Amino acid sequence: MPLLSTHELTKRYPGGVTALDRLTLDLETGIIGLVGANGAGKSTLLRILLGLLPATSGGATVLGFDARTEGSALRRLVGYMPESDCLPPDVSATDFVSHMGRLSGLPAAAARERAAEVLRHVGLYEERYRPIGGYSTGMKQRVKLAQALVHDPRLLLLDEPTNGLDPAGRDEMLTLVRRTGTEFGIAVIVASHLLGEIERVSDFLVAVDGGRLIQAAPLGTFTERTGVLAVEVEDGAEALTARLTERGLTARTSGRLVLVDLDDERPWDVVRDAVADLDLPLVRIEQRRRGLEELFR
Amino acid sequence: MTAPGSIFDLGYQRYVGPRQGRLAVAISLLLHTLRSAYGIGRGGRAKVVPFGLLILAVAPALLAVGIRALATQAGAGDAFDEASPIRHDTYQGLTSTLVMLFCAAQAPELFGRDQRYGVLPLYFSRVLTRADYAVARLAGLFLAVLVVCLLPQLVLTVGGVLAATDPATGLAGEAADIPRAVAISVLAAGLLGGVAAVVAAWTPRRAYATAGIIAVFIIPPIVVGIIAARALGDVAGPLILASPGDILDGANAAIFGTFPDSPAVAAADIDGWIYVVAAAVGVVATLGIVLRRYQRISV
Repeated sequence: MPLLSTHELTKRYPGGVTALDRLTLDLETGIIGLVGANGAGKSTLLRILLGLLPATSGGATVLGFDARTEGSALRRLVGYMPESDCLPPDVSATDFVSHMGRLSGLPAAAARERAAEVLRHVGLYEERYRPIGGYSTGMKQRVKLAQALVHDPRLLLLDEPTNGLDPAGRDEMLTLVRRTGTEFGIAVIVASHLLGEIERVSDFLVAVDGGRLIQAAPLGTFTERTGVLAVEVEDGAEALTARLTERGLTARTSGRLVLVDLDDERPWDVVRDAVADLDLPLVRIEQRRRGLEELFR
Repeated sequence: MTAPGSIFDLGYQRYVGPRQGRLAVAISLLLHTLRSAYGIGRGGRAKVVPFGLLILAVAPALLAVGIRALATQAGAGDAFDEASPIRHDTYQGLTSTLVMLFCAAQAPELFGRDQRYGVLPLYFSRVLTRADYAVARLAGLFLAVLVVCLLPQLVLTVGGVLAATDPATGLAGEAADIPRAVAISVLAAGLLGGVAAVVAAWTPRRAYATAGIIAVFIIPPIVVGIIAARALGDVAGPLILASPGDILDGANAAIFGTFPDSPAVAAADIDGWIYVVAAAVGVVATLGIVLRRYQRISV
């Protein structure tokens, strides 16, 4: 059973803004990065999948449930961490997460147990008994993740989980997201406008722009090796290019880099020998990868 | 070999227990709402206003029951019954201001808070539908207000039974008033709670919501009073049905077969049962308005 499929999903807001434009997707389980600029339609997609927002046209199926007609059954198995602030300041994390567990259908005792467990999992210990109002942004983000996990969902939808976090907080949150997906076997869809973050946590990448699907493919195919060898030298790049061309390779200079077309294994040896012969200060030789950034060019 | 007292990271545990359906979850939210209305599960300060108002509402009944017991011992029980102003049929009028204050203080807590802090997306992305949420919240507020209305009536009933020469006679004396007291309490809790919920659901800011609810309760009777004072009886008649307090006063008089407290109601010359119907319509209408609000609110 696919994790998620959408067919020609379209959302137009009153006022004429098209947030999603005939989006068709079929996703298998895993950690899925949903990437796009602010306003690309990421949050709209997540909210339609949850049944929080009706689609203008088209349909979506999540975990085998129709998002529009079987929302209640579907939402029982999905955890959602919204982008916005959503925590009341005057209750403790324990009480709040446990309350949210009950609202996801856990019996009272189970909700309390699960709340304690997920708060420990996200790294909140003694402070979980204090009112949320006194928490740092990082702690609040952890509580938001905990409330999404409390009912042991089969799918987690995370909307910009690192919003407002400092670099260390970002690292910790991304590690948590990665662990949740890999160790616990919970499917995760994480939306972010930061390619670098998505690259670190996901196996599969869905890129959207202006409500349209740009690409959906395993992360590896976005960053696969290209047939270009990059040689960086402190100086003498022009001389190296000339020597390589002399030896029958296709080479060009780009600043301190010499880019050599790589059709077989031969250029590696030729480059090594040329650098040694010319006695150039070599910094590195590496096979180029396509950058994720190229997606949005 | 591990040392005793070692802490093990057992890793993440899957949940394999039962998962409840919509009805059970809705009841759970209803009970949570009822507890929140009395500040239970929140800090001590959250309990001061609701319990303070509840105590003030019950105090006259306790006082009446106590004095009645003393009067009975002195052989003046019947004389007290005739003279006492604290009876089933007068209690709605005695406590209506307290009930309104209770609604004004607690409805914003139950309806505005989730909007103010952006918690609604978390509710709506769970088992309950928007309508389930609205109904559970409203029912929770209704029950909380019903306690304020009904508890003093219960005290009067128990006091009446115990003060009688034997419990059977006492119960017979109270029997007629029990359904009446329940009826007016249900109408009062439904109408005042409903009106307060409508204002609170549209007013996330707590202070504004409280002020708004008080305004809705006190401004209509003032307007009606002014119009009645200018002897525009024909106009004041139908207008009085815009005043929740006067509707309940009229309904109370109709249910107990007594005279209304409010001069405006007395002057309006409307059949008593119209007030009962108006109160019931008000309850249904406020439910409809609150439901509509939560169907449309964007999260």
